[in-house]
Amino acid sequence: MISYIGRRLLAIVPIILFAILITFVLIQVSPVDPAEAYLTAAHIHPTEELLAEKRHEFGLDQPLLVQYGRTVVKMAQLDFGTSYMTNEPVWEDVVSKMPATVQLAVSSILFAMLVSIPLGFLSAIYKNSPIDHFSRGLSYFGASIPQFWLGYLLMFFFAVKLDLLPVEGKGSWENLVLPTLTLSLALIAIYTRLLRASVLEQLQESYVLYARTRGIKQRIIMVKHVLKIAISPVITGLGMNFGKLLTGTIIVEQVFSWPGFGRYFVDAIFNRDIPVIQCYVFLAACLFIICNLIVDLVQLYMDPRISLKGRTDQ
Amino acid sequence: MIRTTKKTLLSIAATIFLVSTVLMACTKQEAAPSASSGTTENAAVVTEKAITLSWPRDIGTMNPHTYNPSQLFAQSMIYEPLVSYKAGGKLEPMLAESWTISEDGKEYTFKLRQNVKFSDGTAFNAAIVKKNFDAVMKNPSLHSWLGVINVLDKTEVVDEYTFKMTLKQAYYPAIQDLSLVRPVRFLGEAGFPDDGDTSKGIKEPVGTGPWMLAEYKKDEYAVFTRNPNYWGESPKIDKITVKIIPDAETRVLAFEKGELDLIYGEGVISMDAFNSLKESGKYATQLSEPVGTRSLLLNTTNDKLSDLRVRLALQAGFNKQAMVEGITLGLEEKADTILSKNFPYTNIDVQPVEYNTDKAAAYLDEAGWKLPSGKAVREKDGQALELELIFDKTDPIQKAMAETMQAEWSAIGVKLNITGLELTTQIQRRKAGEFDLDFWYNYGAPYDPHSFINVVAEKGWGVSEANSGLPMKQELDQQIHEALASTDETKRQQLYSTILLTLQEQSAIVPISYIKKTVVLQNKVTDFAFPANRDENPFEGININQ
Repeated sequence: MISYIGRRLLAIVPIILFAILITFVLIQVSPVDPAEAYLTAAHIHPTEELLAEKRHEFGLDQPLLVQYGRTVVKMAQLDFGTSYMTNEPVWEDVVSKMPATVQLAVSSILFAMLVSIPLGFLSAIYKNSPIDHFSRGLSYFGASIPQFWLGYLLMFFFAVKLDLLPVEGKGSWENLVLPTLTLSLALIAIYTRLLRASVLEQLQESYVLYARTRGIKQRIIMVKHVLKIAISPVITGLGMNFGKLLTGTIIVEQVFSWPGFGRYFVDAIFNRDIPVIQCYVFLAACLFIICNLIVDLVQLYMDPRISLKGRTDQ
Repeated sequence: MIRTTKKTLLSIAATIFLVSTVLMACTKQEAAPSASSGTTENAAVVTEKAITLSWPRDIGTMNPHTYNPSQLFAQSMIYEPLVSYKAGGKLEPMLAESWTISEDGKEYTFKLRQNVKFSDGTAFNAAIVKKNFDAVMKNPSLHSWLGVINVLDKTEVVDEYTFKMTLKQAYYPAIQDLSLVRPVRFLGEAGFPDDGDTSKGIKEPVGTGPWMLAEYKKDEYAVFTRNPNYWGESPKIDKITVKIIPDAETRVLAFEKGELDLIYGEGVISMDAFNSLKESGKYATQLSEPVGTRSLLLNTTNDKLSDLRVRLALQAGFNKQAMVEGITLGLEEKADTILSKNFPYTNIDVQPVEYNTDKAAAYLDEAGWKLPSGKAVREKDGQALELELIFDKTDPIQKAMAETMQAEWSAIGVKLNITGLELTTQIQRRKAGEFDLDFWYNYGAPYDPHSFINVVAEKGWGVSEANSGLPMKQELDQQIHEALASTDETKRQQLYSTILLTLQEQSAIVPISYIKKTVVLQNKVTDFAFPANRDENPFEGININQ
């Protein structure tokens, strides 16, 4: 197991190197000169003299291979340089903003699981009942409504009209409610339908029939056997979505003035804050790989038939 | 093995739950101050006059000598200039009680106000003024955009309350440049880093201004309270909370809920939202005097646009009034002159080019651009009258105006191709002269009119380059240099009149509309007035009815 995790972790290295290479190449082919982007972001008029000074400072006057090598070495030390916008080390900025985003992502995932597992399970068991219709409606709504629009709607009803919750900011738990609802609705839509389909599929399996003929109670069959197996695709989705949420809470953070990583990244894109963009790509690559690894381990725990080598004959 | 894994996974899951619970619990204690704070908590707070507003970006590091990420309005709450810019371009004493300028226009001697203290109680004097100037001059290239820095030769402490600056050459807007929010405002001794180089950061924001930063949470909020040592009239309100709300619609919803007392600024909410708040009748709204002009920059180095008649045809060929009413919903004002008349030296009589499509067509005919029968686009020597207008694709007003012009000009036989670009690319193409037409804005108070004429003469901004096809460009540049160095007020006015009239007649910069600042106020907020300086804060005199 440990060697498996070690191998998977080692596989991160070439992927990250490739991700760095991609961002590096993209920046090279982009028409924007990083030195000019820096001066523009700092509201300093980019004279030729200043541009040359900045290019030298950023090492942009070095051969491309040297520049790439330097980028890799620095990133390995978690040195992403200084943000053009905030003038602070990027890594420090990211570390200070990550907890807010993690908090939002975790609460959204938890809430989504809390709603979608019982809902998906019940709508499979009580197929075509009112609860199934409700879950179908909710999923349809959740999957189709744009997140920023949902955010405004929730804000308008719960904050402005009903005066129950604050509009924006990150003060108390109350501030967490609306962004969590906004983010989790799309997840609920996916997980509910996924689980419903998966449970229905399992119900067709012969082991359910045998269990019934053996006189095992329906509740035990459903929870201990069917749900345990049927939940597997949901866990895969969860792992994928956690990484996505951590890197993609951009719209929700913007709408609810949530001071997280997503908002920081949006500003970086608009201002061509290249060190931040590089850090984002690096982190996104790492997060997706780690989330995938965690999902695989959880799958292994849930279903020991899945072997570490991906075959069932071990 | 599997059992160990199960245990590990269980403990990981438990940790995630625990961490998220702790995170949520922690946030409860750091609640941001709200607009309604001060109404219920305790008797002492009830009497406190506090307002809450929003700003799209974090206020930044509050370094008086550097630019981004510090926000101008917040810097101007803490730091003060030697000279203050007031309505109509009048320069009034601030930290300098008076000043004298030598006859050759090179020596400026300032008598400093004597009863001024920084917010930490330390004295304001000529030594700290010099220390601030020295800190700025450590990195002159950072401030090369600013005229006074480029010509500054030396600074001296004459006596405790007399400060002198000597310029390399006469430069009349020097005093006006000193009224800017940055880079020459004054940081107290305690704020300086040990090596005195403020470009790398300051220790704390200590200023002489009416406000001081009391509480700050990056990207969330900043709380300003009254400076107890303020030398002037103390503000009427005790506390200003600035919430950072990047989204314009959220700002409106927070205002409607009462979490904000005012929404102030340029383009901080959409024009639709402004009008809907105004029409609701529940709030007070105000528009400022023009703060800048939305113009079209015509590239005269382009063969087609080098002909004055074509430029005049384009100006006469679109309806500014309809664009202002339809696109800006009346929140901007039709502009006839390149600079609005509320700046110094700009109150001159010009003959505006009125909307007249017949006249536009006649200009084009006269210039040789004829409309072949059966065709929609004019031609000359087999070449079609086709032009490209570049615009910032994230700016809804530029986009709508570009589309309107495309339709309007097609009616006079001009084919306009419109290209939406990212702002950085738009600026790059402007500076490289790779455009036919582009949107352009002047800088506003207190930068204009001298910054405007400066970019007409100096290369590097794209305007001088675009105007370089004008036959009188050299003469114009000469007049501009003379105006900037002139020490004679009458001569300076004459020069400005000539320069502005020439530019106006040449139609190479076509004014469209005057941009205004907006404010929406809860009814309890009183005595709000827009600052004359575009970048200053608007909190002087503001009050609230409890």
